[in-house]
Amino acid sequence: MQRRTLTRTGAVAGAFLLTASLAACGGNLGGDEESSGEDFPDGAVTLTIGQDPGGSTDLIGRALADPAAKDLDESMPVVNKPGANGAVAAKELEGKAADGQNLMVINASLIAITPLAVSEDEVVDIEDYEVVTGISQDDYVLVANPASGWKTVDDLIKSGKKVNFGTTGVGTGSQLSSQLLFNQAGVAGEDVPFDGGAPAMTAVLGEQVDVASIQLGEAYPQIEAGKLTPLVVFSKERNQYLEDVPTAIESGYDVPVSQYRAIVAPKGTPEATIDRLEEAFQAAFDDPAYQEFNEGQLLTPHEISGDEVVKEWTEARDSYAALVEEYNIDMGDAS
Amino acid sequence: MDSISPVIDGFGVVMQPENLLYCLIGVLVGMLVGVLPGLGPAATIAILLPLTFAVEPVTAIIMLAGIFYGAQYGGTITSVLLRLPGEASSVVTVFDGYALARQGKAGTALGIAAIGSFVGGTVSIIALTFLAPLIAGFALDFGPPEYTALALLGILLVATVSNGGRLKAVVAACIGLLLATVGRDGFTGAERFTFDSLSMADGIDFVPIAMGVFGLGEILYNLEQRDAASRPPAKVANVWPSRKELKQSSGAIGRGSVIGFVLGILPGGGAVLSSLAAYGVEKKVAKDPSRFGKGAVEGVAAPETANNAAATSSFIPLLTLGIPANATIAVIFGALLIQGVTPGPQLVEDNPELFWGVVNSMYIGNILLLIMSIPLVGLFVKILQIRGSILAPITVLITLIGVYTVANSTFDIFLVVVFGLLGYLMKKFGFEPGPLVLAFVLGSLLEANARRSLILFEGDVSGFVTRPISGVLFAAFFIVVLLPLAAFAWRWRKAADAELAHPSGTDGTDGADDDSATGADDTTDRGPADTDTPVAHTTRKEQP
Repeated sequence: MQRRTLTRTGAVAGAFLLTASLAACGGNLGGDEESSGEDFPDGAVTLTIGQDPGGSTDLIGRALADPAAKDLDESMPVVNKPGANGAVAAKELEGKAADGQNLMVINASLIAITPLAVSEDEVVDIEDYEVVTGISQDDYVLVANPASGWKTVDDLIKSGKKVNFGTTGVGTGSQLSSQLLFNQAGVAGEDVPFDGGAPAMTAVLGEQVDVASIQLGEAYPQIEAGKLTPLVVFSKERNQYLEDVPTAIESGYDVPVSQYRAIVAPKGTPEATIDRLEEAFQAAFDDPAYQEFNEGQLLTPHEISGDEVVKEWTEARDSYAALVEEYNIDMGDAS
Repeated sequence: MDSISPVIDGFGVVMQPENLLYCLIGVLVGMLVGVLPGLGPAATIAILLPLTFAVEPVTAIIMLAGIFYGAQYGGTITSVLLRLPGEASSVVTVFDGYALARQGKAGTALGIAAIGSFVGGTVSIIALTFLAPLIAGFALDFGPPEYTALALLGILLVATVSNGGRLKAVVAACIGLLLATVGRDGFTGAERFTFDSLSMADGIDFVPIAMGVFGLGEILYNLEQRDAASRPPAKVANVWPSRKELKQSSGAIGRGSVIGFVLGILPGGGAVLSSLAAYGVEKKVAKDPSRFGKGAVEGVAAPETANNAAATSSFIPLLTLGIPANATIAVIFGALLIQGVTPGPQLVEDNPELFWGVVNSMYIGNILLLIMSIPLVGLFVKILQIRGSILAPITVLITLIGVYTVANSTFDIFLVVVFGLLGYLMKKFGFEPGPLVLAFVLGSLLEANARRSLILFEGDVSGFVTRPISGVLFAAFFIVVLLPLAAFAWRWRKAADAELAHPSGTDGTDGADDDSATGADDTTDRGPADTDTPVAHTTRKEQP
């Protein structure tokens, strides 16, 4: 009798793990075949996320996977392969068969900003992938503790204070945007990197640092509650969710930094397959539930074509490199 | 007062049959994943996220929260019976829990842990209910300097929690600290010990290290020991602790509740730090600290109480500030966002049913866990009646699959194997792996926060002691460091006097304290640290 109980427990555990592992590696099968694109999709299409579960990139990928899978009439398992801001997942995708069965959500910061901080052989080039479509834009906002009394960047500059600014880490849009702003404004400041947006925001709330550049989705609830004052957004145009907050460019500083995301496939994926995928994701963009998700996350749709993504991100990379050079900004010792 | 009515409405939410059912499912799944080595609550919650889309936000979070605190108890079961902590927060439970199990008192250990978990969880929920709004401001006063002080205190405690020789514990802790330096420097972007591998760019993950040195290392070591020596306890008899044991652990449970609640609120590593701190405190207040590591019930009661209290109180920063305090809470944060609920300061006002529904569900969940844990332990224990040669490969398989599911990384499987070998060798040569793992966790916390603090202080070290909270913490740190050092120096002098009578060739002893490693090792093995050596010898004698 004991033995039977045991078997049952084992079976439950086994089934649980089996489900888990199947969900994790489903869709990687049969990736070696040559493909002309006509028989696409052939089985599950895996969407890899280069970040941890629960982060914005992960949430976006999952919100898109459902409606896109429906359009393709195939399942689309979402797999997280976090590491090095997505570089681990991106390098892995490069080696996958170019048949459209393996996709990834990639961040513009990995392409345009991370190269400023890391060594050369770690750089990921967008040209090494086929871009299916752009997804959305996530803006950085510079927030201060209301106790500082600052309402605008000018207030901050006039205070004449040495400013400690929190960033979400080295080689991020958060670091680049604040470095550019303070260098151009001639504000003496010290860069304090944290592990992501939440700790950086906590540091502003707890007055450990004076200001921090944080993604809007993370800062918005505190801004609404009046616990953080938004000084400036770093997007090219005003953000639709923060109509009253000026952009850095309006305030006279050349700081066009936003986070963009796109869907990419391995280089050499047939055009017909890319077109079919684009169609599927277009259907996902039109899905009301996805649009609601975008609003809930304060994301601005930026559903541009693959070619536009390559052009935009490459330009951003070059202009950031030029700006960093011009203002003699140190993003990291390894560059 | 109209602040009471939403609390009562919250109970109405929990009592809906659907929510009760999901609460039950949550704690059951939580216990199961806690028992399965390698598969932690964070991974489970992430995997189960898609299942929650179809239900109401409050129902979803009730279930996910249940997984989280249920796993805290499940982790205890493997810590006690298999010496495999399911979670970092159950690491210290291993020391006395496993010792008790080897004495045939596994039931007592699990019973005490269940009671402690229930009390800790419940105390924490009650405190959460009343203090949540006040706590929010307090947590924010913890900046980089305070975390630096906490991490330092924690690393110091690492040396005292170990039951091997103190010097060997320090060596293991140093390896842990060194491992924590691997990865891209978070301040300059420079690569440190990554060997140009992208898989190492973010450093080594905690899970493969813990699974390797504890899980695989232990299995390998046990295989070498053949049959009788390490056979698991035959049965878990009498889970109800005796009155004496209850009395013995009541103080530990009380202190554990408070420590867990307070440390759980702090963003970052709350449950781990609190179990560690609770264990350290018990060892300090005990009349006979040498019992620890050899099956002291307080050594099980305190950390298990504290980690449950911390798991509960770590919801405070999430629900009041929208700040996830740890990885698992971060996944729950993600679940809330998917549900269209943004946790933050306005959550209590805008969405009281959700806030109080989730909080109050924890009362029910803890009662469910207490009721279920006793009969289910019997079920889990059956796993131990399998022979080692069958159990070992299955455990290895579960560990390897489990570690893969966390980040879908085959590299992590490789890491588990490497750290498994390291853990095996450490065991073989009498080094405890615990300090390594704990120092690894605290090391990155310490480095990042110390450097952050120095940036903020513009390099002025005195800043650490002029801030009130970090000043107090550093004062505590120095007291804890200096007292044993003074005692040690006194004993050392006595020993040195004795040695003058019989000179023995190690002239290095009169040099600097931190002279050469070998010289210091000699001192420990023969010299003044009398209390430490017998333990180390016992460990060795266990080898066939």
